[in-house]
Amino acid sequence: MRPELLILGFDTSAAHCAAALLSGDRVLAARHEDMGRGQAERLIPLLDEVLAEGGAGWSDLSRIGVGIGPGNFTGIRISVSAARGLALGLGLPAVGVSLLDALALGTAGPRLTCLAAPRGQVYVAGHDTAATIPAQALPLEAVPRDWAEPGLVCIGSGADAVAAQLGATPADPALPDAVAIARLAALAPTDRPPAPLYLRAADAAPSRETGPRMLA
Amino acid sequence: MDTPVTAQIILGIESSCDDTAAAVLRCDGPRAEILSNVVEGQTALHAAFGGVVPEIAARAHAERLDTVTTAALREAGLTLDRVDGIAVTSGPGLIGGVLAGVMFAKGLAASTGLPFVGVNHLAGHALTPMLTDGLEPPYLMLLVSGGHCQFLLVRGPDDFTRLGGTIDDAPGEAFDKVARLLGLPQPGGPSVQAAAAEGDPERFAFPRPLLDRPGCDLSFSGLKTAVLRARDTLAEAQGGLTETDRADLCAGFQRAVAEVLAEKSRRALDQARAAAGPLTGFAVAGGVAANTELRARLTALAQATGTPFVAPPLALCTDNAAMIAYAGALRLAAGARDDATLSARPRWPLDRTAAPLVGSGKKGAKA
Repeated sequence: MRPELLILGFDTSAAHCAAALLSGDRVLAARHEDMGRGQAERLIPLLDEVLAEGGAGWSDLSRIGVGIGPGNFTGIRISVSAARGLALGLGLPAVGVSLLDALALGTAGPRLTCLAAPRGQVYVAGHDTAATIPAQALPLEAVPRDWAEPGLVCIGSGADAVAAQLGATPADPALPDAVAIARLAALAPTDRPPAPLYLRAADAAPSRETGPRMLA
Repeated sequence: MDTPVTAQIILGIESSCDDTAAAVLRCDGPRAEILSNVVEGQTALHAAFGGVVPEIAARAHAERLDTVTTAALREAGLTLDRVDGIAVTSGPGLIGGVLAGVMFAKGLAASTGLPFVGVNHLAGHALTPMLTDGLEPPYLMLLVSGGHCQFLLVRGPDDFTRLGGTIDDAPGEAFDKVARLLGLPQPGGPSVQAAAAEGDPERFAFPRPLLDRPGCDLSFSGLKTAVLRARDTLAEAQGGLTETDRADLCAGFQRAVAEVLAEKSRRALDQARAAAGPLTGFAVAGGVAANTELRARLTALAQATGTPFVAPPLALCTDNAAMIAYAGALRLAAGARDDATLSARPRWPLDRTAAPLVGSGKKGAKA
C-alpha cells in the first residue's frame, strides 16, 4: 500500500501526446511527445512506457487524471474515451481536468490562461483576476480591454496574442501539462466521470428543408 | 448453469454511427447466446439537422460508452472479471464515433489485460444470420440501411465477396431525405411507409435507377431528386400538396426502391449461386429491411428461387453490439489479436478485392 496517491495524468488535446506518473507531488515519470497526428495509436503504449519508467503497473494506480480540453475535439475524445475505459477496467475514478486550469498551476498572481482556437479565436479563463473570467471561447479581437490589470500574466499557446492586446506579460506554464493535470486530479472530487470541455458548439446547421405547404 | 470450458464470454462495443451499443455474449464455436444487448440511440440529438451530424454523434458516444457497457454487464449479470475478450467496431463508419469506441476498448483492454480485436462493422452485419439462425455459409446477404447498401456473398467468417452496392446514397438515407422534403418526421423509413400505405404507387412514374444496366450495383440519389421535382411541379400548379399527393409520392418512391432492390437481389442470387453453388439462404440486415413492401418482395423472390429467406429480428438487423461481439468472438477463436496501436478506420471495405464503387471518393472505397 503506497502512502501517497499514485496518479497517471495524460493529455492529447493538441498536437502532442503527454503523460506523467505522480506519487503525491513527486513526479516518477513524465513524457511529452509532439505529434500532429497518431495520438490514438500512441497514447496507450506511451502510458505503458510511463508506468514502466515509474516502476508501477496498472493495478498500482489510485486515480486517472485526464485533460478534457479545450482544444482539438477529436484529440480530447481520444483521451477522455481511453480514460473512461481505463477507469472502468480498473474500478478507479477518472477525473477530468481543464487545460485552462492546468496551465495556471504553479504560477502566482492574476493570470489569464489562453489557448489558441481555430478561426482567430482563443480559449481563455481567469485565475485570481479582479474580474471573474469563466472559461470561454471568443474572437481574439473581442477580448475585453478591461481584463487588463497590474501584474497580469498570460499563459498558454494563445498567450502572446492576448498579452499583446491587454498589455500583459506572457509567461510559460510552470509545469508540463500532464504533471499539472495529475496534480489537479489528485485534488478534484471524483463524483463525475471526465467529460470533454469543448467550449464551442458542434459545427452543424439545422436543415433548411421545411417541406411543402400542405393544402387542406 | 455450467459453462463449458470452451465457452468464452465476449464483450462487444459499437459506436460507428448514431447508436452507442454494448453487448455480452457467451460464445462456443459458431454458437452463441446473447446475455445482453444494450443500444442507446441518438435520434433526438440529430432530429433538427435532417441527418446524423458526425460531431454531435461523436460527442454523445464519448460520454455514453462506459455507462452503456456497464449496463450491458449488469444485464448479463456479470462483472468484467468474467469476460474473456473484447471486440470493438474499428470501422468503417463516422470516424469520431469509431475512434471513441476504439479508445474506450483499448483503455478497457490495457487495464484488464484482456485480449481484444477490432471488428469490421459490415462483418458484424454479414455474420448475424450465423448468430441468430445458425445459418452456415455460403449465403447471400443484402445489407440495406441508412449508411450502407451492398450484396455480400458470405463463404466463411472471413470470406466475403461484394457482388454490388450503391454508387451514391444508401436507401435509408433516401427514405430520410424524401421524408424531409415532404414534411414527414424523421426517421424517414417508418413515416414514408405509413404515408405510402394510403397512396397510389402507380400515379407517379419514378425512375428505376440502373435497372437497365447489368450487374447488382444500385443508385438512389436520382430517385430522391425525381421525388423533389414531382413535389415542386405539384406545389407550383396547386400552391401546395394534398395529403393524397404526399401519400402517392411516398407510395411511388417506396415501390421504386422495393422493385429495384428486388430485381438486383434476383441478379445477386444468380451470381452468388454461380460462384458458390447452392446457397443456404438469402439474408437481409439493416433498418430498411424492416420495410414491409420490400420485405414482401424479397420473401417472394427467395421462395420463387427456392432459397430460404432469413431476416434476423429487427434489434439484431439494425446497429448493435451483439453482432460485433459475435464477429469478434470468431476472430478471437481463430487466434486473432489486436494491440493498443489499433487504428480506427473511416473506410474499410469488407471485400478487399472488389473494385471501389463509383462515387466512393478519392480516398478509396468506403465500405
